[in-house]
Amino acid sequence: MEFFERFAIPHPSPAIYASMVAIGLTVIAIVAGLTYFKKWGYLWREWLTTVDHKHIGIMYLISALLMLFRGGADAIMIRAQLAVPDNKLLDAQHYNEVFTTHGTVMIIFMAMPFIMAFMNYIVPLQIGARDVAFPRLNALSFWLFFMGAMLINISFVIGGSPDAGWTSYFPLANNEFSESVGTNYYMFALQISGLGTLMTGINMITTILKMRAPGMTLMKMPIFTWSALVTNIIIVFAFPVLTVALIMGTMDRLFATNFFTSTNGGIDMLWANFFWIWGHPEVYILVLPAFGIYSEIISTFSGRNLYGYKSMVGSMLIISFLSFLVWTHHFFTMGQGALTNSIFSITTMAIAVPTGVKIFNWLFTLWRGKIVITTAMLYSLLFIPIFTIGGVTGVMLGMSAADYQYHNTMFLVAHFHMVIIPGVVFGMLAGLHYYWPKMFGFILDEKIGKWTAWIISMSTLLAFMPMFFSGLDGQARRMYTYSESTGFGIWNMISFIGAIGLAIGFVLIVYNIYYSTRYASRDISSDPWDARSLEWATHSPVPEYNFAIVPHVTSTDALWDSKYNNHVLFPGKYEKIHMPNNSGIPFILSCIFFAWGFSFVFGMWIPAIITTIGIFICLGHRSLEKDYGRYISVKEIEETETKLRGV
Amino acid sequence: MKINHSLPLEYSTHQNQMNILGFWVFLGAEIMLFATLFSGYFTLVNRTGNGPTGADIFEITPILLETMLLLTSSFTIGLAIHAMRLGNKKAMNVYFVLTLLLGLGFLSLEVYEFIHYVHIGAGLQTSAFTAALLTLLGTHGAHVTFGIFWGLFIIGQLKSRGLTPEVANKSFIFSLYWHFLDVVWIFIFSFVYLKGMM
Amino acid sequence: MKELLPLKQVMGFAFSMILTFIAVTVYFSNMSFATGMTVLLVTAFLQAGLQLVVFMHASETEDKGAIYTNIYYALAIALVTVFGTLLCMIWGYI
Repeated sequence: MEFFERFAIPHPSPAIYASMVAIGLTVIAIVAGLTYFKKWGYLWREWLTTVDHKHIGIMYLISALLMLFRGGADAIMIRAQLAVPDNKLLDAQHYNEVFTTHGTVMIIFMAMPFIMAFMNYIVPLQIGARDVAFPRLNALSFWLFFMGAMLINISFVIGGSPDAGWTSYFPLANNEFSESVGTNYYMFALQISGLGTLMTGINMITTILKMRAPGMTLMKMPIFTWSALVTNIIIVFAFPVLTVALIMGTMDRLFATNFFTSTNGGIDMLWANFFWIWGHPEVYILVLPAFGIYSEIISTFSGRNLYGYKSMVGSMLIISFLSFLVWTHHFFTMGQGALTNSIFSITTMAIAVPTGVKIFNWLFTLWRGKIVITTAMLYSLLFIPIFTIGGVTGVMLGMSAADYQYHNTMFLVAHFHMVIIPGVVFGMLAGLHYYWPKMFGFILDEKIGKWTAWIISMSTLLAFMPMFFSGLDGQARRMYTYSESTGFGIWNMISFIGAIGLAIGFVLIVYNIYYSTRYASRDISSDPWDARSLEWATHSPVPEYNFAIVPHVTSTDALWDSKYNNHVLFPGKYEKIHMPNNSGIPFILSCIFFAWGFSFVFGMWIPAIITTIGIFICLGHRSLEKDYGRYISVKEIEETETKLRGV
Repeated sequence: MKINHSLPLEYSTHQNQMNILGFWVFLGAEIMLFATLFSGYFTLVNRTGNGPTGADIFEITPILLETMLLLTSSFTIGLAIHAMRLGNKKAMNVYFVLTLLLGLGFLSLEVYEFIHYVHIGAGLQTSAFTAALLTLLGTHGAHVTFGIFWGLFIIGQLKSRGLTPEVANKSFIFSLYWHFLDVVWIFIFSFVYLKGMM
Repeated sequence: MKELLPLKQVMGFAFSMILTFIAVTVYFSNMSFATGMTVLLVTAFLQAGLQLVVFMHASETEDKGAIYTNIYYALAIALVTVFGTLLCMIWGYI
């Protein structure tokens, strides 16, 4: 019995017990359902062992939507607790846990898989490739991410949630002030999913550099592919920093080292330093793919090519470098001198410039375009003004002298939500509506979609604008309650109403998916939006080999040229196609990684050693394996193509 | 699989070229990994608490020996790749074994060094300085250890499968990894040890 | 046997040994900190460049551009990280 005591929740409440029961029931229901409908084999063959970038993209998408609701539930709890002064809904400890998991889940396990979903699904299609450069590594990336997400999600029912904020600053995050294993969960969940992200970065860069269709030079790549390339460059150079920071933090917690302690020479500020060297580029990792999606959508629905393609590419490249030069603006108040703060203030101002260039490029693309307002376009148009509010307040925060006033107040919270929600979430939702027909072969209902877009964007304003005021009035972030005399009550009540609006919006998205799955017409063309780039040149849904014939490209808008300028996109005839084989190893390896992380979280050294050996056995197996893929014959291609054309 | 005979064996298929480029990108990430460890080390180097300083614990002889061993192993793995390009499987094998033996020698010295540090009261938990030092050295040492096992797998495949494009590709990538570890060691040697003893 | 010991690599190895010995002089002779650091910086980066060009065959394929961009980019960000960290953690407080 003693052994099991460590798994108990240190700070239980009826809500957590209810969640335990709910999780248990859900697992039983899934297992029973799979067994009853005899879907285990299907699940294993088509999903668990798949190396197809399209299936992996869809799995990322599903994970992102699930995590959106997990993080959203946390958000509602936060706003409900703060809605009225002196509220007793959550106590201080629960509030800490809830805002910690809200931030962690939303950034690492919602926004990241969302961008991964689109990069995985769309990039190979846009460059006319059959798959990514390392398909099996791609599967491993996904499963590592997934297992990291599961690790953080079981924390609140086994052993306790992390409670030191999503930034997990030391000394708060050390054993003395965070006694439960929650912060260990944080360390290992981020470490495991971070490994997966790094692998995706390497994979995507190689894919984009080496697998482009004939004729597609770098400057003829669609803009979303460019944004994916730049994003992955940032990933490759930023994530190792997080890896090291997490290793150091883990060692402080598990092996009593003195990196971030206040004794024996340790310096807790070093954690903040490393965290933000990764954390600031991470912001751009999230927002650049969304910018790419906006660029695609705005250009498609303005019926013209993207204005300032070269400056778009240039500004992204500048952002990729500058994003590594601004991290100190996250801790201007930590005590560095005026010189250091000034340097980072200036770089922060500088990075606003390329972002501004992009905004103007979108506006000029709209100028005199034949604008069609679809749901995807609506999100893109709503993004521009709301994001600008977030961006401009960011410049305010970037002035180090003024930052002393804003730091750690709700003003900051309002700022980054106003950046991330329109910048990333709107972008992903726009992408969801835009690429849905490509992924699933039908269009999401436009009427529900537009209602949802309005509800979500107005609720965003309602939820976060009041925080600017309460923040300037002095309401600190991460405080679980406040007294009535502060006068923050009204602002927070408005925020709560906005949060409910957002929740309604997100439920509507799910309803839209359900509704459209049942009622939407399947009789759509492969190019329902009259789009411009290669992903729309193949069938919807996409056959496993993507393109029966490798497309030839002469401009950024290859499909547009073939539709309106007599460009021959698919010269030549069918040839047999080489495809990679499925493999169970990525999934199994990731399961072992899950057990590995779990063992370390609880300091169970024997299982930790066994799982470490297991990981190396999997690597060795991969090294010795002979797998040369398989071929799809010309006959098979012909049959598939005839069927898909519906002849 | 199309094999292009105008290129060296390790580049001969498109997949092989992608593997090599992908590995270079990975090395870019490794540069950042070690840069972060170095940043941590430089920040904490004078924060020795009650523990010893670098000058108190570093000894020139084992460090110089370690450097010689690793530099020589970097040379021999270069020769192994050269032999591979000449198609001389036997010489390649010899150089590979030599490389791994030198790596093993390096590793045993490093293990000795670690035991010595712990023995004289500079363990992992002593101070921020020792934690940063041992983490930096340990990460490099773990890379070398991993490399030795990896190298063994490649020697095995060279024996059982011969000099196929796939094996050549793996060997070449291994050589990149090994050279990179050498570069990292140069920086450790210069900016941890020599700077610390200066 | 001779073709198994190509001149380029042997020279590279000899040069790398020489660089090591130059670096070690900072230990055996009595240099100022600034001179010593200069010597170490020069020898270390030369040594790294040597490995890159002579042993790692960085410039022999069409991917040369990508490889060098990657390495230089990593190096630039690595230096920013090291010196930026020192600025924020140590120098910035004076």
